[in-house]
Amino acid sequence: MEKIPYPAQIDRSRFEGDSHAQETKYGLPSEVRFCVRCVISNQRPNSAVEYSHVKESKKKTINLDDEGVCDACRFAEKKKSTIDWDERERRLRDLCDQHRSRTGEYDCIVPGSGGKDSFFASHILRTKYGMHPLTVTWAPHIYTEWGWKNFQGWIHAGHDNLLTTPNGRVHRLLTRLAVDNLFHPFQAFMFGQKSLAPKMALLHKIPLVFFGENEAEYGNPISDTESAKRDWSYFTAQDQSKVSLGGVSVPDLKRRFGVEQQDLIPYLPADPNQIEEQKVEVHYLGFYLKWHPQSCYYYAVEHGGFQASPERTPGTYSKYNSIDDRIDDFHYYTTGVKFGLGRASYDAAQEIRSGDITREEGVALVKRFDHEFPERFADEIFRYLSIPESEFPEASRMFEQPNMTREYFMRLADQFRSPHLWTWEGGQWKLRHAVWHEAHRVA
Amino acid sequence: MSNLRIIPRLDIKGPNLIKGVHLEGLRVMGDPQEYAVRYYEAGADELVYMDIVASLYGRNNLSDIIRHAADRVFIPITVGGGIRSVDDARHILRSGADKVAINTAAVARPALVTEVSRRFGSQAMVLSIEAKQIASGKWEAYTDNGRERTGLDVIEWAIKGVELGAGEILLTSVDREGTRKGFDVDLVRQVSDAVPVPIIASGGMGSVDHFVQVAVQGHADAVSMADILHYKRIPLGQIREAALNAGLSVREL
Repeated sequence: MEKIPYPAQIDRSRFEGDSHAQETKYGLPSEVRFCVRCVISNQRPNSAVEYSHVKESKKKTINLDDEGVCDACRFAEKKKSTIDWDERERRLRDLCDQHRSRTGEYDCIVPGSGGKDSFFASHILRTKYGMHPLTVTWAPHIYTEWGWKNFQGWIHAGHDNLLTTPNGRVHRLLTRLAVDNLFHPFQAFMFGQKSLAPKMALLHKIPLVFFGENEAEYGNPISDTESAKRDWSYFTAQDQSKVSLGGVSVPDLKRRFGVEQQDLIPYLPADPNQIEEQKVEVHYLGFYLKWHPQSCYYYAVEHGGFQASPERTPGTYSKYNSIDDRIDDFHYYTTGVKFGLGRASYDAAQEIRSGDITREEGVALVKRFDHEFPERFADEIFRYLSIPESEFPEASRMFEQPNMTREYFMRLADQFRSPHLWTWEGGQWKLRHAVWHEAHRVA
Repeated sequence: MSNLRIIPRLDIKGPNLIKGVHLEGLRVMGDPQEYAVRYYEAGADELVYMDIVASLYGRNNLSDIIRHAADRVFIPITVGGGIRSVDDARHILRSGADKVAINTAAVARPALVTEVSRRFGSQAMVLSIEAKQIASGKWEAYTDNGRERTGLDVIEWAIKGVELGAGEILLTSVDREGTRKGFDVDLVRQVSDAVPVPIIASGGMGSVDHFVQVAVQGHADAVSMADILHYKRIPLGQIREAALNAGLSVREL
């Protein structure tokens, strides 16, 4: 493979006026539509199998129905009306009864960070359903102080935990590659987030894994919510040679970037044959219990002294979700660039669906915060994303400029903008379609 | 010594009374009018209304709620949230409020404190401070309902606010707010001892003991409470009774 070039300045004239306004990247729909109930648009990608994510990958995006309502809102509606939660809870009790250990050994695995959702999951399984969870954590890239404190609070609320922290240099390299190739600074984290728990299940012979809420609560196909079990494709793969990390194939990582097989152990997917043999089952607790992130927050404060972050997260108004990792701010900044949806869009959409804010409030929050540049940790993140020769003798040679700077990052950002979403006007980037442009609509 | 005041705090978002934890995860409780009347009838000394997202949304729409409250509630009302000018303050006071509480706009333009105080009297100018502990014995003032840092030291800002003309300080601990773990007594005491004006302690009340502590050790002049009343954990009358039993100088009904 070729050296990774310093990002060239893009031709901004393609973004002026309307002549290229139909051109889309990533297979996004060319007509931008916003859900009439929340603030999400049809540009929101569904969860992807990150192991096959490369530059050329096309995204499947959230479905809006004939009435202009997104699948996530439809599912929220179902949660409130047709799902029989008593029956679902009975099924949870049955499942727990089948697996509950009588000898005091661990009987289930709960992955998480100790944030509000994983706190709720493990704590309620332990205290209300009499389970013996082993909690497992895939470390953030760079902990925030409050994230670390809340992680400690989780353990001290009565849980054993295995914290997995991958080799920092490999993690940095994979993250840098994911930024350059996919503009996706969170990808290295997501590998572990999805696959660590099933792999720990194999390693420790604990065949029951509980994730929290189903991703479909936020927009994956609504059909995903009909099963309690998680799709294997997210955390398994038959053939390692077909796996890509940071948009680079495993063989190339080894050949060109000085990465060894050992370095990849934490990232690689579980072997589906072993999953089958050991009868590992991965369930969503949110299938059985009516998930409400705000209630999880209240629960975690009450039972574990969980602290909201001391300031709102850049790009949004909220202080209580996804606050452990300093790179998270950049994750949502990049989704803003690629899909026109920043963190406030995701947060507001979720809170509208839960009934915690109105659509009008959500629109105002998106307008105010959505594409704010994440200033607070920027210098630290750019250092983190730099691959100096002293630390990366082989890998650094694969970058025309191993050093990540703000200018580098912003040039990259421009390369990942899709003309159907962005226009270059009066010397700045503007969204062609924003939720606050729309006439006030109430479904 | 003047009476220690019991002040239910009503945080408002849109038409609703809401409640959060650390001023976050805001939960809709119901119609603020019902709660206000209930607290008035139970013997509250004053009420605080806060449109807690006014700054966040750049709006200010409490005047209708206040007008209705003033018809049925005959105790002093303090109103905060989104007051950015003398005109905004006048509008709120004309709607029936007795005092205005200002945080975000005062940090952005401290002269506003002086302008409001000169125009309506310092008794009507309440400086609202949202404090977050950053080190032992050190707190930073926040704006936008505990969302934005200001870099201001709470004690220094309180002193400056009083110099500018604030006649009272509503002091909210973001760390304790909604947690029912008790007031940040150290914070309240330090601010109380640093300025000559009354301090309303806010954030964290979970029991009557907390009330007594913040009065006795924290030197608070008034105590604001929300969670304990909204969720009907302890009735207001019982708080007053317990305070009397503890020898505190609260108003006898």
